Amino acid sequence: MMTLCPCGSIHDYEVCCGPIIAGTPAPTVEALVRSRYTAFVKCALDHVERTHAPEVRDDFNRADAERVTQQYEWRGLEIRRVTETGDTAKVEFVVRFRREQQELSTISVSGFRRDHGQWLYVNTESSQIAPQRVTKIGRNDPCSCGSGKKAKKCCGVALEVK
Amino acid sequence: MSATRHFQCTICGQCCYGLLPLTCKDAFANAARFPLGFVWTALRQGSKDYAMTATLGTTLTLAHRKELAVMITPTAYLPKSFPCPALGDDNRCSIHLNKPSRCRTMPFYPYRDERYQAELLKPRLGWACDTSTAAPVVFKDHQIVLRDDFDQERQALLEQAPVLRRYADYMFKYSPWLVGALTQASSQTKTRSVVTSLSSFLTATRNADAGRLARLQLPVLNDYATRTGGDAQLAEFHQNYRNWFQEMTYLSQRLDASPTCADASVRSD
Ligand code: SF4
Ligand code: SF4
Ligand SMILES: [Zn+2]
Repeated sequence: MMTLCPCGSIHDYEVCCGPIIAGTPAPTVEALVRSRYTAFVKCALDHVERTHAPEVRDDFNRADAERVTQQYEWRGLEIRRVTETGDTAKVEFVVRFRREQQELSTISVSGFRRDHGQWLYVNTESSQIAPQRVTKIGRNDPCSCGSGKKAKKCCGVALEVK
Repeated sequence: MSATRHFQCTICGQCCYGLLPLTCKDAFANAARFPLGFVWTALRQGSKDYAMTATLGTTLTLAHRKELAVMITPTAYLPKSFPCPALGDDNRCSIHLNKPSRCRTMPFYPYRDERYQAELLKPRLGWACDTSTAAPVVFKDHQIVLRDDFDQERQALLEQAPVLRRYADYMFKYSPWLVGALTQASSQTKTRSVVTSLSSFLTATRNADAGRLARLQLPVLNDYATRTGGDAQLAEFHQNYRNWFQEMTYLSQRLDASPTCADASVRSD
């Protein structure tokens, strides 16, 4: 039995974000962004805190993040663009979620850095929240999580497949 | 303009309702009494209080070389219809000897320049302040007559300005929505404000006392969440109390254990 990873990769959680959340260094910056999103879905915020660069780690408002993990329903992650330059990287990504009966999404550009082989979050260059146009997703439309899978095979149905 | 002004409080209690701006020190000293939030108000250039607001708060640079002056005020976060929890049944302040400096300075307001203070002596609708010539002279020659409380509150505001600026920098960096919200609020004819959480302030300022303050806030927030439940007019207050209760739950436990989000459950009603 496998569990599809919430990050939308269409991989098993146990080989996708699971090990990274458990402490294995993320092999790529994209894998780190995916695992940080999945950590919100799984209420595993130690991972998010640990993967802040040391100089911004104390800026992490964990109390606020803990509330957010409980209150929001996570709808999906979409990685839009990854620009790597040596040990630094910029990632543009969209997070979709539901809050107070509203479908919303944030589009962010964040900076990352690799320290001793570990990718770490450094800053957010921009982040905008937008109400998500509520369109009914048909069973055969692509899933809104950005995985490219049909809705009925992805977030639209139970994530467990045999 | 240089007319002498008279003022006497008749203890009607009407100014003890709703949001109560506090100094940081008064806010933390009353963490077991008031639900605490941070109220942000933005002023456009050209506004009369711009300079003082920029001195006591911060400034925010927008596109097209525009700038806003922003005041960040630790606040007893109460709906307009709610009396201050320290207001007694006899309309007297039950903590008179220790009341916040905001209350001691009333009706003056050191967030504004001294020369504009006369305007604040006009009682608001429903307030029973005596401003007749029978009342003592409180303002003369553009100056406050008995000025100790005013000076003390102003001094406290000046001293805490660097901390608030640090908080503002933090929020502008990590909560870009706030910039948009303040810009929008400042363009309204009626001054509107934005509210942020105690947890963000404690994080931004690395407050070592966060756990203790959180434990004091928990019963207060729980109480106000209960009292505002089910009233559509108070929905925003209710939601904030509940959100902050969750955040304070986490902070109150953080040092004791390493809780996960599953531990911080808010009463649901
Ligand atoms: S502390 Fe006292 S004076 Fe101040 S608002 Fe409350 S009841 Fe009124
Ligand atoms: S409204 Fe005026 S009279 Fe009434 S309590 Fe306040 S200061 Fe006193
Ligand atoms: Zn994953």
